[in-house]
Amino acid sequence: MGLFDKLAGWLGLKKEVNVLCLGLDNSGKTTIINKLKPCNAQAQDIVPTIGFSIEKFKTSSLSFTVFDMSGQGRYRNLWEHYYKEGQAIIFVIDSADKLRMVVAKEELDTLLNHPDIKHRRIPILFFANKMDVRDALSSVKVSQLLCLENIKDKPWHICATDALKGEGLPEGVDWLQDQIKTIRT
Amino acid sequence: MSESSGNGGKWLDAHYDPVAGLFTFSPCVDLADLSGDGESRLVVGDLGSGSTGMKLKVFRGTALLSESTLLDLPAGLVAFFMDLHEPRIPAVAVASGPCVYVYKNLRPYFKFTLPGLEVNSLEQDVWQQAREGQIDPLTLKEMLESIRKKADVPLSMRSLRFLSLETDDMDDFVQLHKQQPIRRQTVITCIGTLKKSTADDDGVSCLVIGTESSDVYVLDPEAFVILSKMSLPAAPTMMDVTGQFDVEFRITVACRDGNIYVLRRELDKPKYCIKLSSHPVGLVRVGKNVMVGCTDESLQGFTQKGKKLWRTVLAAPITTMAAMDLPTRGFQAVLVGLANCEVQLYRDKNLLSTIKTPDVVTSICFGRYGREDGTLIMTTKGGGLMVKILKRTAVFDDRDGAPGPPLAQSVRLNVPKKTKLYVDQTLRERENGLAMHRAFQMDLSRMRLTAAKAYVKALESSLAPVSSSISEPLKMNAVVQGLGPSFKLTLNVQNTAACRPATNLAISFLYDEGLYRMRNPYMRIPLLVPGLVYPVETSVECTSDKGISDIIKVFVLHEGRSCPLLTAHINMPVSEGEMLN
Ligand SMILES: Nc1nc2c(ncn2[C@@H]2O[C@H](COP(=O)(O)OP(=O)(O)OP(=O)(O)O)[C@@H](O)[C@H]2O)c(=O)[nH]1
Ligand SMILES: [Mg+2]
Repeated sequence: MGLFDKLAGWLGLKKEVNVLCLGLDNSGKTTIINKLKPCNAQAQDIVPTIGFSIEKFKTSSLSFTVFDMSGQGRYRNLWEHYYKEGQAIIFVIDSADKLRMVVAKEELDTLLNHPDIKHRRIPILFFANKMDVRDALSSVKVSQLLCLENIKDKPWHICATDALKGEGLPEGVDWLQDQIKTIRT
Repeated sequence: MSESSGNGGKWLDAHYDPVAGLFTFSPCVDLADLSGDGESRLVVGDLGSGSTGMKLKVFRGTALLSESTLLDLPAGLVAFFMDLHEPRIPAVAVASGPCVYVYKNLRPYFKFTLPGLEVNSLEQDVWQQAREGQIDPLTLKEMLESIRKKADVPLSMRSLRFLSLETDDMDDFVQLHKQQPIRRQTVITCIGTLKKSTADDDGVSCLVIGTESSDVYVLDPEAFVILSKMSLPAAPTMMDVTGQFDVEFRITVACRDGNIYVLRRELDKPKYCIKLSSHPVGLVRVGKNVMVGCTDESLQGFTQKGKKLWRTVLAAPITTMAAMDLPTRGFQAVLVGLANCEVQLYRDKNLLSTIKTPDVVTSICFGRYGREDGTLIMTTKGGGLMVKILKRTAVFDDRDGAPGPPLAQSVRLNVPKKTKLYVDQTLRERENGLAMHRAFQMDLSRMRLTAAKAYVKALESSLAPVSSSISEPLKMNAVVQGLGPSFKLTLNVQNTAACRPATNLAISFLYDEGLYRMRNPYMRIPLLVPGLVYPVETSVECTSDKGISDIIKVFVLHEGRSCPLLTAHINMPVSEGEMLN
């Protein structure tokens, strides 16, 4: 960390990062982001997102601005308009929805082949969410089904999460924070 | 991206279980949100082996969620809202035999049995006698036999069974059954739903059932009493219902006589009849039209009034048909399962895409499954279950030769913008149209006059190359050949009189002697026989090398007259050759 960063840290100024939160509807994107906010700022009711919403939360050294996109089919064409701004991607998968794993894969492939993403070394964090649900797929199985091993030119990481309890989230966010720092310095 | 499976790149393969053990057909498959959590389940009436193992199965995602035994073979299954209770959870109605079993929350809730049919009174009397021991089984058999042959009202199941028995078994059968009253029961052949009074997606629906006795009943959703009964000329096999019971509805029924009938509200007989050339095997309504698949491997389209729109021939026999309706995209089409392991998608008569399947498909259902609106569910002959999801980006275009305006016709031409000048001119023309027209007519008349005057003058002074004088009508044209400085001049003279020869004519030339030299500037012309063309040749030499040219005038003269008969002006070409001397 450079001197400026340290200084900024002492002063409470943090680096701003734009993160896109993508994934099918009902995968738990809003629930995850809500859980990452400080306790007093967390919403109680979570309803399906319409269009998208902008949320902010902070980690030890970064200030995240998250574009929480709606995953509903009719809003998914909005995603690509924010690819340029995004400096990192959080891709949430409902590990219990085996039937729609192909749809998640299709949307991921479309994302990875988009001209605004394809040639950038943008870090992607996968949350294999809803691991608490009985017969949910393991994160290994999810990464197999999504063929994540084929992503060679971008740093990625997958963690199994339970957004209701917040389990697995810190691990993922730490990884993302490290990635962003290595890219920046 | 697995496009290898023959989906035409439009479908995602979500699930395929070739040994799901599901044996069913399209009327026994439905999709409904049975738990009210926004996630649709798949409800299947499984035929089992056909005699055992009939089950009502419910799937969630890729997993079997529950199954319960059915007592009889299911003929059809529908999910419908029977009340207004919250949360809005639909009930499931399974038609089998003479009954409709209604399940709520997947538990048996109500059983509706069709009313019994009229029993033959003679048959009743005969059994009465048998009960009282007045006749022995053999006499009973004889009497029933004779009733069967001539009666209008058919025999009951019991009598028919009795007639099929061996003599030894008859006694026991009579002993066993003679105390019970005779009943004649029909069975359900098809089932559908009809919205009661609102068109809402979660509006309360009536059940509509078709029976072997050629009747169609509409049942009240709450009390399960018969609201309406309609009769058909033959037993129905498939039906489509649209509209609302309290407002206006239309029941399209394919019947076993190979016809399709359309029933309307307040009519107990069919309103329209579509006569098919072969038996229908699939019936799907798309908007206001009906699409029918027939045993002759054809797909046909009809209007709701029975007018035939088109017919298209398929590659193989049809195994099943279903509608593909995607209201969010405004897309409606028909899925046709074929015996050659293909499922084809048709919009009207146009084939939009083909899905290749590993086995022959026996049932198709398209709709919202789980959270995905465009899900295609198919079961196969071997008992497999296949789920495909329509890609979000899939588009279907019919690239066919359908009649209609060519595409180019709708391409807008790049017409340039109207300039200020153009607009001003148009305005001026509009305002002064009359004056402009008059001025034009005036100028035109003037020009005509000037032209006529010049013509008359030319004629009077014989300046024209045609002479119209009555005594010597002549015509002449001149041809100049050569590049210069020597030119050959040919004058073709013709007497245009009907039969009078022309005599005593001569030709003379007038030219600038500083420019041209002519061998003989005066020539006599022989007698001209009418009609023949006489070429008169001479040569001209250009004496100037300055590249200039002039006119040579030719006169045709008559001896003893000073005025020429005709005149021609020859525009000499510029001499391009070098002077030799
Ligand atoms: N059991 C379980 N349920 C979860 C978990 N995460 C989210 N959910 C539930 O999943 C549902 C959908 O969550 P949302 O956060 O609204 O999903 P989303 O991805 O934002 O959906 P859209 O906004 O429609 O794209 C909610 O009912 C959550 O309570 C989890 O880890 N476990
Ligand atoms: Mg959301």
